[in-house]
Amino acid sequence: MVKRIVDLRSDTVTKPTETMRAAMEGAEVGDDVLEHDPTAFHLESEMAKIMGKEAGLFVPSGTMANLISVLVHCESRGSEVILGHNSHIHIYENGGISTLGGVHPRTVKNNDDGTMDIDLIEAAIRDPKEEIVFPTTRLICLENTHCNHGGRCLSVEYTDRVGQITKKHGLKLHIDGARIFNASVALGVPVDRLVQAADSVSVCLSKGLGAPVGSVIVGSNSFIAKARRLRKTLGGGMRQIGILCAAALVALQENLPKLESDHKKARLLADGLNKIQGLRVCTSSVETNIIYVEIEESSGTTAIKLCKDLEEYGILLKQTGLSRLRVVLHHQISESDVQFALSCFQKAVNGVQNENGN
Amino acid sequence: MLVIVCFYFLPLCNTVIAIEIGHFFFIKIFSKFLDCFSVAEKMVTRTVDLRSDTVTKPTEAMRAAMATAEVDDDVLGYDPTAFRLETEMAKRMGKEAALFVPSGTMGNLISVLTHCDIRGSEVILGDNCHIFIYENGGISTIGGVHPRTVKNNSDGTMDLDLIEAAIRDPSGEIVYPTTRLICLENTHANSGGKCLSAEYTDQVGELAKKHDLKLHIDGARIFNSSVALGVPVDRLVRAADSVSVCLSKGIGAPVGSVIVGSKSFIAKARRLRKTLGGGMRQVGVIAAAALVALQENVGKLESDHKKARLLADGLNEMKGLRVDPVETNIVYVEIEEGLHISAGKIVKNLEERGILVMDASPSRFNSSFNNIQSTDSIFVNCCSMLLREGKVKMATSGRKI
Repeated sequence: MVKRIVDLRSDTVTKPTETMRAAMEGAEVGDDVLEHDPTAFHLESEMAKIMGKEAGLFVPSGTMANLISVLVHCESRGSEVILGHNSHIHIYENGGISTLGGVHPRTVKNNDDGTMDIDLIEAAIRDPKEEIVFPTTRLICLENTHCNHGGRCLSVEYTDRVGQITKKHGLKLHIDGARIFNASVALGVPVDRLVQAADSVSVCLSKGLGAPVGSVIVGSNSFIAKARRLRKTLGGGMRQIGILCAAALVALQENLPKLESDHKKARLLADGLNKIQGLRVCTSSVETNIIYVEIEESSGTTAIKLCKDLEEYGILLKQTGLSRLRVVLHHQISESDVQFALSCFQKAVNGVQNENGN
Repeated sequence: MLVIVCFYFLPLCNTVIAIEIGHFFFIKIFSKFLDCFSVAEKMVTRTVDLRSDTVTKPTEAMRAAMATAEVDDDVLGYDPTAFRLETEMAKRMGKEAALFVPSGTMGNLISVLTHCDIRGSEVILGDNCHIFIYENGGISTIGGVHPRTVKNNSDGTMDLDLIEAAIRDPSGEIVYPTTRLICLENTHANSGGKCLSAEYTDQVGELAKKHDLKLHIDGARIFNSSVALGVPVDRLVRAADSVSVCLSKGIGAPVGSVIVGSKSFIAKARRLRKTLGGGMRQVGVIAAAALVALQENVGKLESDHKKARLLADGLNEMKGLRVDPVETNIVYVEIEEGLHISAGKIVKNLEERGILVMDASPSRFNSSFNNIQSTDSIFVNCCSMLLREGKVKMATSGRKI
């Protein structure tokens, strides 16, 4: 019997649709290093337009997009970047900005909502007068939506305020916008308005938008020109990439409108999970497509055990702590999958409780 | 000065290349000797893109494979098609494991940085090799590895005694970096696609072992070398700890390279690939095309070499042109001074006639050309893949590097 699998580990697991596959098969291509692959050019122009920036650059991953952005803004040796202590760049990108780029990170505490206090950001900016002992702050990074803080959205007002701080101090602002479209949809703010204050944004196409591969960096013409060169240096200069860009263009068209429904399913699942005795979800924190599930002691189970039990039912999730699980919704998870997942959670938790004689 | 012209040949079976005659005076001579080409007049009806073997476009079979590829998240787990490709490549190359990467540059960068993962490392490589000249100095600017160059001979080798002399004496370590790696390049692009023999490679391998160093081969065109030498590719690279192999050049896949090496090397390489940003998700889409390319096109490399030799012979017979001996799919053509025409002009004239070429003069190092420093010349990179498919279209203006 074919087991039903509901893969809630991440929105990166989305597989290309029939339309994407057809687009990939028929894509017009060229050598993107020698010149410009025409489909890549089309995607990059389109993304730049959507994000309200001058130019765009297709890259193999969000990690490379952030790495390039930080390294281009901080191209002088002795640079420092301010970013959240719990941001993706700081936690999940192998420390590449330092180990490869020689940039020093200065972390500021992320609040539960993904923001950093403005006064703490400002306090972290190095005083140029002390430069004999300090690195030079050049960049502030925000993350929207904020992955480790439950996919929460940074408002346009907050983003603008951080932008003002950067301008006041002659710094740049980069937004890790892997899930920026989720933020835009959830906030009801056009995406170009949302990132208006930013000098650069990295946007993932392979997450909720569902393309098989890639991200796009957007910024000024001169920024993107430098980014293109650094992309080559890092080894991201691919040849006939129109194939992947064709899928990304389809993703933009087809799946952007589906993000709202991903958020609805997330809220449905969150409410349902919160009702299960032994589990707790801060439902008010579920703003987009990410849910963190706390496993209460009374449940008698742990994150590892629950993950394993659920896997046997065909539900795949990520364990993010001893008693914490992460669930991510995407367009290839149906409402019926959500209901199925809920029933499996209930069974798994009940099963444990029965084991423990509860 | 050397100008690069890359030639893609139409399949020679009863089809011809239309080459415009015009005011380009030596085309008259050209046509006399090229009786296998018919020469058309005036209008450019087709483009012959000879800039590089990277311009190869995916075939129908590749496109079909891409459209139906079985995929999964290659970061969270394993994309099954990428896994199949990596397994196949490891087997072919006689190594334990393999890793698919977006480009040859990343293949080499990862390999150097993984072998030289300790701060203060040095790598010995040719002064005219691709890693040193055309990879943005990434091993240093990104990886902090110090390069120690040794003169490349015109056949792509480096003298063994010069390599050995370049290895840092550990007793001098207070002032020296630590040599950890030697890199070879096979075929050697800047030397005209010359092959390094298995014997030479083995000798360098022995030297590496003697001094407890690793050996990496930039094998972007290793299959060309294997075919030209008649040596199985796994035998050719046996002495190497790692090899980077391009699938997007003569093999014709749209994207990617594969690094091969030991299991532990590849495990580290995978992590560094993620760090560099090369961790792609449903990468099976492009791995599927690469699998088709491996199946379909390795067998065609010999014919690319034949066509290259044909072109070389034809050009060599023209007064004012001189062609180095050709071993694989790359042809260097030098324009002797008496021709009184610059490389740039020739490149332009050719482009007007639908032949896209590359001017690579500044990349040549002087020592090879002491006797012809005053000449302009055309560097010819001969790549037949596109023409093999008979796919041509109107010229779009190619940006010259």
